[in-house]
Amino acid sequence: MSIAITGLGIVCAIGNDIPSVLASLRQKKSGIGTMHYLQSEHTELPVGEVKLSNEEMESMLNLDKGEAWSRTTLMGAIAVRQALKQANIDRLDGKKVALISGTTVGGMDVTERHFKLMQESDEMLSVISKHDCGSTTDDIARICGLDGAETITVSTACSSAVNSIIIGAEMLKTGEADIVIAGGTEALSKFHLNGFNTLMILDKEQCRPFDATRAGLNLGEGAAFVVMQKSADAEDDKALAYVSGYGNRCDAFHQTASSEDGEGAYLAMTEALAMAGLKPQDIHYINAHGTGTPNNDPSESAAIRRVFGDSIPPISSTKAFTGHTTSASGSIETVFSILAMQNGFVPASLGWEKQDDNCITPSTGINNIDIENVVCNSFGFGGNDSSIILSKTPHTEDEATAQYVVDVLAKDEIEDMESLKEIKEFVFPIEARRMGKLMKASCLTSMRVLRKANIERPDAIITATANGMLETSEQFLQDICENGEQLLKPTLFMQSTHNTIGSAIAIRLKCHGYNITYTQGERSLECAMKDAERLIRTGKAKTVLVGCHDEATPLYCGFMKRLGLPEPKMIDSRVILLGRKD
Amino acid sequence: MEELILTLKKQIIEVLNLEEMTPEEIETDAPLFGTGLGLDSIDALELIVLLEKEYGIRLANPAEGKDIFKSVATIAEYVHKNRTK
Repeated sequence: MSIAITGLGIVCAIGNDIPSVLASLRQKKSGIGTMHYLQSEHTELPVGEVKLSNEEMESMLNLDKGEAWSRTTLMGAIAVRQALKQANIDRLDGKKVALISGTTVGGMDVTERHFKLMQESDEMLSVISKHDCGSTTDDIARICGLDGAETITVSTACSSAVNSIIIGAEMLKTGEADIVIAGGTEALSKFHLNGFNTLMILDKEQCRPFDATRAGLNLGEGAAFVVMQKSADAEDDKALAYVSGYGNRCDAFHQTASSEDGEGAYLAMTEALAMAGLKPQDIHYINAHGTGTPNNDPSESAAIRRVFGDSIPPISSTKAFTGHTTSASGSIETVFSILAMQNGFVPASLGWEKQDDNCITPSTGINNIDIENVVCNSFGFGGNDSSIILSKTPHTEDEATAQYVVDVLAKDEIEDMESLKEIKEFVFPIEARRMGKLMKASCLTSMRVLRKANIERPDAIITATANGMLETSEQFLQDICENGEQLLKPTLFMQSTHNTIGSAIAIRLKCHGYNITYTQGERSLECAMKDAERLIRTGKAKTVLVGCHDEATPLYCGFMKRLGLPEPKMIDSRVILLGRKD
Repeated sequence: MEELILTLKKQIIEVLNLEEMTPEEIETDAPLFGTGLGLDSIDALELIVLLEKEYGIRLANPAEGKDIFKSVATIAEYVHKNRTK
């Protein structure tokens, strides 16, 4: 069974719809420039902003004035609407529809604007309900009239959107969904601009991926979504491209750095090729992750060389067009890859001039080229590396049929702070230096459950969390509010993404298998369990470590109390180890 | 110099959350990264923030830290020469 893509929607720095994005790509016109909409002290940093104010987006979407919408939601809704319009599906009712969105920053743009006020008065307190990533997906569904759709939010930092598409394809294959709208959306925020700045990986000039003089990335924002259907369900002339293969693997190396040999990236590309039944020489274009940081580009180059050897197809990074749109980059670049295939051109790797011997040589743009298959790479913090293969004609024949039965091998949980002391059994003090209570709890429950079941390393790690790394995120935000945008702590930011939890476990276990994080409010664990069961039933994994981990802080508990909501537990970590029943 | 070394050790323990360590446990000449204390690239970034915050020394490129952060002794030497506060 193949998966057809029947609709595309996009909004990013180089255009607010498909025709304008295509024109910019062909004319080699970058959208990176001086900050205009984001309110930050760091005006010296170029950014790839969507050229629309929130008010303009609200009126494009016919929304009532006065509600504090996150830019993440607004951009996402614009892209979803475009994609649905192009797919032109007559009836959604009676069909199983899923909206799968990748985001990490979520509603942070709204929270950071009101954070101080929220602590002082009740006036803006209600915006807390727009903070978590899952709420942005629910809002997009609501705005786009997808009321009956199942909403799922994936948060694996910069690979979130490709992982959304992967999950969507799997759900179509197993029949869990008839129509999937998948992609990602991420608004620029002061929070992550400052975060990346603490990591000293932001270039003050326009980024130059793979160039010897590259000095980091530029942040961007945007959203892109694709409508996917089983090819049998899509009318023949409607398929714009096919998803023929994909791979999700973990580098399991470091929270913010890629390994030298690009192991995670290598495994992800190899798996995608195997699923598509394609050889490296069948790939005619690679849309690289290519962020422009000193660390990413040689690591990705090493991985590409390992897969493609001496016959590397044209490669480009399109990050110098859009900036790094983080969680949205995977779907934005999936759309670029499809446009390249449809229109027969290789987008330029803008800014590249000087060869770095440790990097591949990117393309400066090719016209009139026949592209049958594209590899699109998307890598995230924690080594959450994913690759997807898009094709002009369908290749995949694999049926994701349920062949196996799921068994619960062991369970564990922690709900009290006292238990965290036991972490010493598994972790050296020097390793614990950065571990907050959520990291300690998730590590402890995970290690204990594996020990109980006498399993060294699971095949896959799936994490669920409603609020993610609440404590470190709150400290980082509080720091910005109280002390301004200087001298902030990188340690806090590097542990602010939701996938910090799952990737830390992978790093500890050196587990290169499938690794994903779901964040969908109270339904987070449900999303994770469905994925885990799917992996086991379809034979993709024999053992899956599923964890649901959340924490609270005194400030957050205070917010909940003032809103008349139940007070959350300070720590709540539960894990289930699933296995295949023989 | 001795005083600066002790202060630096205390500050390193604080910014890197080395909760269970005392200044005496950090050897002045021992490597901080890799085989020594086992610090990594993020710790180096924290040390860059520390230099700016406490001593008014600004490193524009994280690669500059490589030689400076070899040991507490090398940090002390660099701070002594370059501090602006």
